[in-house]
Amino acid sequence: MIRRVLPGVALAAVVVAALVVGGAGRSHPSRAPSVRAHAIAAELRCPVCQGLSVADSPSPTAKAIYDDVRRRVDAGESDRAIRAFYVGRYGEWILLRPETSGVGALVWILPVTALLLGVGGLALAFRRWRRQPALAATEEDRALVEAALAANEESR
Amino acid sequence: MKGALGFGGITLGFMAAALGVLTMGVGIHRRDGRIMATGRQFVFMVLLGAVVAAGAMEWALVTHDFSLAYVVRNHARSTPLLYTVAALWGALEGSILLWALVLAGYLTVTVRRLRARASEPLVAWATLVGLVVAAFFFALMLGPANPFKATSGLIPADGLGPNPLLQNHVLMAIHPPMLYLGYVGMTIPFSFAVAALITGRVGEGWLLETRRATLVAWAFLSVGIVLGAWWSYEVLGWGGYWAWDPVENASFIPWLTATAFLHSVVVQERRGMLRVWNLSLIIATFCLTILGTFLTRSGVLNSVHAFSQSDIGAWLLTFLGLAAATGIGLIAWRGDRLRTPGRIDSPVSREGAFLANNLLFAGFAFVVLLGTVFPLLVEALRNEKLSVGEPYFERMTVPLGLALLFLMAVAPALPWRAASGEVLRRRLGVPAWIGALTMAACAVLGARGVAEIAAFGLGAFAVAGIVRQYALGVAATRRAAGVGWPGALRRTVAGNRRLYGGLVVHTGVVVIAVALAASMGYTTKREFHLTPGQRVTLQSHHFTYLGTTRHQTGQKDTVQARVRVERGGKELGVYAPALSIFPNAPGGSAIGTPSVRTGILRDVYLTLVASPDQDGRITLGVQLSPLVVWLWVGGGIIVFGTGIAVWPARRARRRSSTGPDPLDPPAPPVPSADEMLQEAPA
Repeated sequence: MIRRVLPGVALAAVVVAALVVGGAGRSHPSRAPSVRAHAIAAELRCPVCQGLSVADSPSPTAKAIYDDVRRRVDAGESDRAIRAFYVGRYGEWILLRPETSGVGALVWILPVTALLLGVGGLALAFRRWRRQPALAATEEDRALVEAALAANEESR
Repeated sequence: MKGALGFGGITLGFMAAALGVLTMGVGIHRRDGRIMATGRQFVFMVLLGAVVAAGAMEWALVTHDFSLAYVVRNHARSTPLLYTVAALWGALEGSILLWALVLAGYLTVTVRRLRARASEPLVAWATLVGLVVAAFFFALMLGPANPFKATSGLIPADGLGPNPLLQNHVLMAIHPPMLYLGYVGMTIPFSFAVAALITGRVGEGWLLETRRATLVAWAFLSVGIVLGAWWSYEVLGWGGYWAWDPVENASFIPWLTATAFLHSVVVQERRGMLRVWNLSLIIATFCLTILGTFLTRSGVLNSVHAFSQSDIGAWLLTFLGLAAATGIGLIAWRGDRLRTPGRIDSPVSREGAFLANNLLFAGFAFVVLLGTVFPLLVEALRNEKLSVGEPYFERMTVPLGLALLFLMAVAPALPWRAASGEVLRRRLGVPAWIGALTMAACAVLGARGVAEIAAFGLGAFAVAGIVRQYALGVAATRRAAGVGWPGALRRTVAGNRRLYGGLVVHTGVVVIAVALAASMGYTTKREFHLTPGQRVTLQSHHFTYLGTTRHQTGQKDTVQARVRVERGGKELGVYAPALSIFPNAPGGSAIGTPSVRTGILRDVYLTLVASPDQDGRITLGVQLSPLVVWLWVGGGIIVFGTGIAVWPARRARRRSSTGPDPLDPPAPPVPSADEMLQEAPA
């Protein structure tokens, strides 16, 4: 038993180890001001572009906002406070990632709910299928198949 | 004159489509094959009308006929020929004309291919449905989207020219027609699906008739999307290729449902199951193409692509509602015939994997659709403005994409019905280890990010499985037929084009997935202020600003910065990112033109962010993005694989020359009663 499971466990261990090592560098980003500023700017909409973020947009307006975000980070404002300032100025519209509260929450909840419903539906279907007896071939079916196979052989 | 000719073509197209619908209807009602054959002829008249109209428009564009409002808005005397021709699809009215032309072409090919069977109810109804769709698009051009409207008032000496963004790159001439060939092609399977529901022949017939058309349309749509990304990367100058812009999403959502459909039809062909689901998927795909046209062409969005605004929105929404209601109503009406007796024995089986695939693709399509229309809905219903952008889409779609990549690695190796642990170990053991070791190697070599490493590992897993499958198939053929490797490869592929073509398509998808992960995860971007002669360094690349040059042509005023790029003492060349002012364009907009050094491992992407100031100092944007070129290569591989899959098989050879495929013995579509064959003792 152990011998059969062992390769699978080893495989899983390698995968998990690789992901943990690889993820470690990302999950503790140095909260350097430049990293923080970039992360905030990536979620603010450039007000004069077509759906680009402040971090992506080359426009002067986006530049100005980016620099302002950086100033605020350096001044010690929290991420939340900086976002709140921009929401106060431009409205919810400025956030490219909708808030998880209020009406914006729907855009997060609906897909997850739909996916769960889909998984649940499939699980139910498999349960029903398992209970349902498999179709079995009757003598007649077998005779038909044999006849067809024989005919096929002859035609070759 | 050209206006009258063009409008005549549109009128002809509309009349022919409408009369064709009537004639087919009468023929079907009276069951009179001769009347149906006459009805069929109207398809050729529709094509003639569309060709005349499109030809008249091109003629007017090429000859600078500014008596047409469309030509004034989308053409100028100085516009180069390529963009003059491409102006046909540069704005709303012309793109509807292109839609009608492509649809007429598809209908003609379909009707010709099935000419011997024009009086079969399924084919007759499908022709009728196709003609209804054509009639709608011609009606749009008779009504709100008339491309041949005369210029009001004095005829100007010159036009405004195309939108600056649309005359900047040769891809603009290719990308929209590709997208339309994909979009419009989905009308053919839709027509057959509706015909199947109306006639009650809801078995596999309609699938088999449209299998190739669907694949071809799907391939065009894939190419259109990839080319759109490429255009965005080469032209827009923000360094990215996909912004989750509503217009990009509009082409991506039907691609997702069509991809789900291509997979789930295999289950229906093989097991006779999922009839309702397949019908729903293809009807949804068609509706989503109409929704996409609505989103892009009604001006409901304000996005890079929505160059035109008009009251066409109400027409498209109404048509969308009718199409959706027809589909849903018909499925409900035929509910009794759509139930199938089959069952799926185990989730760990080929058909189980197809179900999971469909769940994920449907979920993916739902996420993108919701994210795209949510701001519109909120604004319409609550009068609030909010945004759903890249951070949302990335958070939601990356896990779905990774799950799909995993399925792609596992599913092709799963046997039908049920897989034992032994079979799984034998077929997946080595590829899985290759994937795991790839992950480990990436982590050891310093790659960071869970999603990135997972994508690389799963990609390696999938490719290893594909190589294994090819190797086994070719080896078996070689033994059976006693031929060399190249001959065996050819025969193996010819013996099961769909399987082996599909595996090539999968390879293309893996290539794209890896390129996406690398370029999204490891791109470096920086801006430099430079005076002439100054040299800066980013990740062992050196950039020297040499100076600027200025060109003035009739349509634009361009400033080009020359920048020498070196790496490790080797000169990679002098690149010239530019900024252009289009004085003709409304508002005289400035458009940046990036200069990209494409490399196998990384692209160097240079943009001129700001022209020289009074001190002669420019702002240069520098971006190093790994593996971007593989996005486009992957697109090419997808086309190649689809080509293998749709290439007509030569039957005689197929029977005599190929050995058994050890993994997926070619089987005819199995109706559910025949499933017993497999259970009968050999």
